[in-house]
Amino acid sequence: MDPLAAIKVTFFQECEEQLAELEGGLLAMEGGDHDPEIVNAVFRAVHSIKGGAGAFSLEALVRFSHVFETALDLIRGGDIQADQETLKLLLRSADVLADHVRAARDGGVVDEGRSSAMAEALEALASGMGGGGEADTGDGFDDFVFNPVSIDMSDAPAPADDSVAALLASITGGDADGGAGEADAPASDDAPSQTWHVRFYPQVGLYQKANEAGLLLRELGRLGEVAVRLDASGLPLLQNMNPEDAYLGWSADLTGPGIEESAIREVFEWVEGDCYLDIVREGAAPPVAQASGVDAVGDVDVMALIRAAQAAEVPAAAAAAPTAPARASAEAKATAEPAKAKEAALDAKAQAAAREASPQTIRVDLERVDRLIDLVGELVINQAMLTQRVAECGLQRASSVAMGLDDLEQLTREIQDSVMAIRAQPVKSVFQRFPRLVREIAAMTGKEVRLIMDGEGTEVDKTVIERLSDPLTHMIRNAIDHGLETPEEREAAGKPREGVVRLAALHRSGRIVIEISDDGRGINRPRVKQIAVDKGLISPEANLSDDEIDNLIFMAGFSTAATVSDISGRGVGMDVVRRSIQSLGGRINISSRPGQGSTFTLSLPLTLAVLDGMVVTVAGQTLVAPLTAIIESLQPKACDVRNLGPNAQVIAIRDTHVPLIDIGRSLGYRTVTPPPTEGVALLVEGEGGSRAALMVDAIQGQRQVVIKSLEANYRPVPGIAAATILGDGRVALILDIDAVMVPKPHEGGGAIAAPANGGLDTVGAPTSLAKVG
Amino acid sequence: MEDIVQRKTGDRIELISFRIGDQEFCVDIMAVREIRGWTPATSLPQAPSFVKGVINLRGAVLPIVDLAARMGMAVTEPSERHVIIVTRICDQQVGLLVDAVCDIITVETGSIQQTPDLACDVVKTFVKGLLAMEGRMISLISLDNVLPTLEIEASGAETASILAA
Amino acid sequence: MTKTILTVDDSRTMRDMLHLALTEAGFRVVQAVDGLDGLEALDAAQADVIITDINMPRLDGFGFIEGVRKNDRHRATPILVLTTESDTTKKQRARDAGATGWIVKPFNPEKLIDAIRRVAA
Repeated sequence: MDPLAAIKVTFFQECEEQLAELEGGLLAMEGGDHDPEIVNAVFRAVHSIKGGAGAFSLEALVRFSHVFETALDLIRGGDIQADQETLKLLLRSADVLADHVRAARDGGVVDEGRSSAMAEALEALASGMGGGGEADTGDGFDDFVFNPVSIDMSDAPAPADDSVAALLASITGGDADGGAGEADAPASDDAPSQTWHVRFYPQVGLYQKANEAGLLLRELGRLGEVAVRLDASGLPLLQNMNPEDAYLGWSADLTGPGIEESAIREVFEWVEGDCYLDIVREGAAPPVAQASGVDAVGDVDVMALIRAAQAAEVPAAAAAAPTAPARASAEAKATAEPAKAKEAALDAKAQAAAREASPQTIRVDLERVDRLIDLVGELVINQAMLTQRVAECGLQRASSVAMGLDDLEQLTREIQDSVMAIRAQPVKSVFQRFPRLVREIAAMTGKEVRLIMDGEGTEVDKTVIERLSDPLTHMIRNAIDHGLETPEEREAAGKPREGVVRLAALHRSGRIVIEISDDGRGINRPRVKQIAVDKGLISPEANLSDDEIDNLIFMAGFSTAATVSDISGRGVGMDVVRRSIQSLGGRINISSRPGQGSTFTLSLPLTLAVLDGMVVTVAGQTLVAPLTAIIESLQPKACDVRNLGPNAQVIAIRDTHVPLIDIGRSLGYRTVTPPPTEGVALLVEGEGGSRAALMVDAIQGQRQVVIKSLEANYRPVPGIAAATILGDGRVALILDIDAVMVPKPHEGGGAIAAPANGGLDTVGAPTSLAKVG
Repeated sequence: MEDIVQRKTGDRIELISFRIGDQEFCVDIMAVREIRGWTPATSLPQAPSFVKGVINLRGAVLPIVDLAARMGMAVTEPSERHVIIVTRICDQQVGLLVDAVCDIITVETGSIQQTPDLACDVVKTFVKGLLAMEGRMISLISLDNVLPTLEIEASGAETASILAA
Repeated sequence: MTKTILTVDDSRTMRDMLHLALTEAGFRVVQAVDGLDGLEALDAAQADVIITDINMPRLDGFGFIEGVRKNDRHRATPILVLTTESDTTKKQRARDAGATGWIVKPFNPEKLIDAIRRVAA
């Protein structure tokens, strides 16, 4: 990619960040936050977008952001009150600005009507305060008030501290040129001269702002032929000299075709007000005649020496004037190539300095990070295999090899954690899209909605974040479209007109939990059940709990396009949502209370790459149980185990009885359960907080394992979350705790009609273990 | 696989032939990644009988399909003599468990005979054509249907899970 | 010797653009993301010229310029202000703070190099 195109990519990325900042700030203001820094940040966001857009000549974007910026500047300055009405306008403008950004990026078009309406509203807002907004003349320095300050040269003091100026002083020092003649020279009208007389007497402020007289004179030389004379008459005696003061002045005769006064003024643009400047077009007399006592050769030498001095890189820090002449002339002898010549190599020290000063972030191709993560994954596996081989050799645990391996393991783990952290990002990057979504859906549906977001800083793997966007969008849309009532309905139900949709993220036991809740009407259970019956998903006689009915909406085939708008409550494509969450190793639950709203709870792994697991043996198979789900492990005593019905067993753990589930049987590894007293029970807690004791034959130990997808080359396996590779190089399966906690269908009852799923390919298809909700 | 059969006469393709029991089969060499000896697989719960389990292929989890069982023949009891042909099917890698690899053969596509109609459904699902070679008959295998398709099963699981509730 | 330019801008886009234009012209570039960062970078950067934005979080361009001018080691370093608007009051404020000159955005590389040449050899 050519560098400019790469910067353009950066620009659009940055725009997204600025848009988020803008929206977040406006929302905070809407919420009553009056921190001036928020207003500043909001202004800066639009300002930055405009700046970059200008650089890329994105005119529509520049135009709109300019209007927007003007309004924000007035708010920032306190000229406009940011009341609720204004903030609504600003928020909508932010949406339009986002449209402009995306149109500029993707080559699309912006709704011109909406954009210009918004621009007009912003302009009206800006002009409404009477000031008419920012006067952007594009030519501001013309308004700059230039106050010539005359210097009494007779008692004018000593030379400037500036080294170039000092150099000049050293060359032509003592040459006095009162310059009064030029000042009085009339500008001839009938025959515009080719020559300008410029008198330039810097004041101390010029040097304080790090301007250099010599450089300005050189600039003058770019306009045409120039002859410069130094006026050092103001130079005081050494003992009276203040090294910080300005004592020198110059006269220059500039000759060349078509030189305008404005061009000369432009050279001195930056020092106006910090010098005495007098520009006069010459009458008939040639410049040489004006130069009393200084010959042309001397003048040329001044320019040559300026150039030489500059080439020799006069140090930026100004030296004290008295010593300057000698040093400067020495430097003047040394000539060097202009600084523009590209240096091949940077010296290491400067590079280090640059690093130190650079922002503390870098942007890296995701591919590189992923490659690194893969490699670290392989490293972990390799290290585990090495450890196992060493153990097999019968080396003592205290041997230096074993101890070295321990260190290696520690290091490997640290590397892995660090690498994983690279990919972690706050969920904010997804959440920040939703305020706009909510505004738009609210506008479309005529509902009044307030979006509350919590825990935006919660971090999770980038892959997870990216893949969260669609399902969350879907659910928020559903929450407003189907969950919330109309303002009238709400009033009738004794609720505030404005409905609330809440989006919250938090970390809970090594997973990220995201909740989407609304205070709407809740699931219409009779309706949902009827639909499921109508679609043949359940039999009419099925006796389902409220929870089970709510979870019907996740069934494939529950909703189809034809019924989307017809469904009260929810159900638009929730099976799709559920599947995408499951593909991330996540789970989705719904809880709903009629008339009070619904809450969807997503629980997702923080990373898709590693897992802390307990390695166990069941029926000759090695399995890994996610450590986060395990509360404790215990050796069941015969007296604690009770039969419950024909097939089920429970175990008494302290005061409660929890289901005892033989993993070997539930995964189909064996048909006969060995006596619980011969195995180990893992007390686990599922997502919903329910507990179970999972029976395994033995525990091998705890280990961090690299998660390997089964789906990549195969497909999801019920009861199994993923696979990993253990130290012996063999694949071990990672248990899906929630799935194995769900009883098998023949144990739970078969009231629901089984769908037709016959055919060769479904032989041995999973039937029971996918957890509901 | 269809395209192999449909390529115009005169095109030559390379095939890897292998043996299951007393029958000989072949697959397009372009689909074959590598051939390796049998290593014990980790069995998958409730997998179809033809899925032997998964093995570690340099960090990736590779499912092993017992091709004999897949085609309705006797289930293979794998031993060190058996061979895994690692193939690429769509975007997935799948190991095919066979008795032995025989040969690399080059044939003209025109010499591939369509599978006769009398064959049963299972055969029709996997055998895309027949080759006659030095008095032997070699069945050209289509890999597309080796792994069970997902959609039907997914919906099956979905509904079944509701059943379980 | 290569000249070093310290660029102070909160916009990544602008930093990248400056970096591109300046490095292509043979300058070495040190970047800072806001005024405070810029002040912290002064010693390490040893810049020959500083280019700074005005609107920045934490410490804006005016504050940054004042900070540089108060620093005895760097007060003589030329500072060019990047500004999108040709707003005279902003320029005047920048000059009052001690800015050497300004560059009006959007700039092209020639304009940028021109401006640098006017304050440094």
